[in-house]
Amino acid sequence: MPPRVTITTIRPAPNSQVNQKRLGRGQGSGYGGTSGRGHKGQKARSGNGKPKAGFEGGQTSIIKRIPKRGFVNQDRRVWAPVNLDRIQSWINQGRLSSSPTKPITARELLLSKCVHNAHDGVKILGDGASQLTSPIHIIASRASKSAIEAIENKGGSVLCQYYNDLALRDCLKGNTERLKAAPTRKTDILFYTKWQNRGYLSPEALEKTPSTLMDSRWKILSEQLNRYREQTYMMKIRSKK
Amino acid sequence: MLQRYGLQLRSVLGCSTRSFSASSGGLPVQASLPQAQPFGNVPKLRPANIVILKYPIAPQPVYINVSSLLPEHSSTGNVAILPPSVFRHPIRRDILHLCVNHYLDNQRQGTAATKSRGEVQGSGRKIRQQKGSGRARLGDGQSPMLRGGGHTFAKKARDFSTKLPRKVLQMGMRVLLSAKVRENALGVVEILDWPTAKTAELARRITSLGWQRTLLVTGADTVQETLMRASRALDGTETITAAQLTIHQGLKWERLILDYAAVDFFERTLGKQEIDVAAGLSGHVV
Repeated sequence: MPPRVTITTIRPAPNSQVNQKRLGRGQGSGYGGTSGRGHKGQKARSGNGKPKAGFEGGQTSIIKRIPKRGFVNQDRRVWAPVNLDRIQSWINQGRLSSSPTKPITARELLLSKCVHNAHDGVKILGDGASQLTSPIHIIASRASKSAIEAIENKGGSVLCQYYNDLALRDCLKGNTERLKAAPTRKTDILFYTKWQNRGYLSPEALEKTPSTLMDSRWKILSEQLNRYREQTYMMKIRSKK
Repeated sequence: MLQRYGLQLRSVLGCSTRSFSASSGGLPVQASLPQAQPFGNVPKLRPANIVILKYPIAPQPVYINVSSLLPEHSSTGNVAILPPSVFRHPIRRDILHLCVNHYLDNQRQGTAATKSRGEVQGSGRKIRQQKGSGRARLGDGQSPMLRGGGHTFAKKARDFSTKLPRKVLQMGMRVLLSAKVRENALGVVEILDWPTAKTAELARRITSLGWQRTLLVTGADTVQETLMRASRALDGTETITAAQLTIHQGLKWERLILDYAAVDFFERTLGKQEIDVAAGLSGHVV
């Protein structure tokens, strides 16, 4: 008859507990005296006892041997890619849906976990275009040529809108109180005023976008930022004497 | 679920102070109640999603004669049928050990603290000159070498709580209840209530039942007011709710009494879904 199960008759499973190694507690323990450090030298000292990481005893370290290269672009932007086959799969599962007045934005893609992280914006890419069957209406930061073609062939629509950090955060959180900033960089202006990129400030986009989706400022912005098309420069001609 | 059989049995009260007459409650109980049938030849081909029980014979339910705290109902002939997954679990003392250690770790106040040499009050002035005194060299007066100095490795208030997987705790509770059943230290009543708040009456009743050193566990949200007041002053009796029961507490107390609601609570929170293997083997795949 085994003993009654009480607070005093319970024991840990055999070999589940190992005695702690205690240094400097006499000869019998095997870790007395120098406590497993041997005699003298840098490694026997108290405190860290090691030189700094990467130090090779004075020899030129591998970090120093290899030359520096290049620079890090502070204005670099990383787009979160999403392919058409993934979007179609999400629509089939019922995790995404779109209409001309309620298009898919970065917020819907993030919430439905179609993208894990929006980074600096979402770019729609065209892999798996053959699997796209439904017409989708989508607003993203960028879209590839093949993606635009595939979506519009199925009767959908693509619009590329400029999001700076604050605008993207507002889009992802669903805040509508702030106006979204206009593009300031030359490359961005050139990109978003072209219909071939489906830029939201191109004249064709202003015609095609439903007015509920448009900001009040887009018309004015579009008019101002498209002026480069007609701009010319005065050049002083130096006459040769 | 809990079933009650209306058998006319001899009252089991006033028995030995150690045990309740549990599953060994006499031949009439065993002979009349249905026995679990062992399985015959298990066919080789089976559907992939059917769980096969570990033992060739399904574990038997636990039968316990139902007692009563109230004198009027003491001669009830009911028998409680308890699920074997909770009340006939294999005894794992090492699991109980883990659970008890986890509980005691979390109970630690962890406020012991002493001062190190940086915290002991005192200036940083060098106590005596480096050379010339003939004595050992010394810095400030709070060094652990000196009387009145700080502790070398001072204790600091810290959190001793540990984590344990919740399924280990659940198994621990099942082991506890099964251990109590095995030692005939678990009893079942219909309901844990007491009419008046009089401690003396309750004490008399408990003595007559032989329920000293017993923990009363009720499955209700709170313990009944009068029972709580009556039992508060009694040393060998405590009443708690099933949700409050801890493994440490269950091991310390000699006996447990559960009411029907408590048994239902444990079955709901700890029990396993019984799978009808025979139905699955007949070909119907869910």
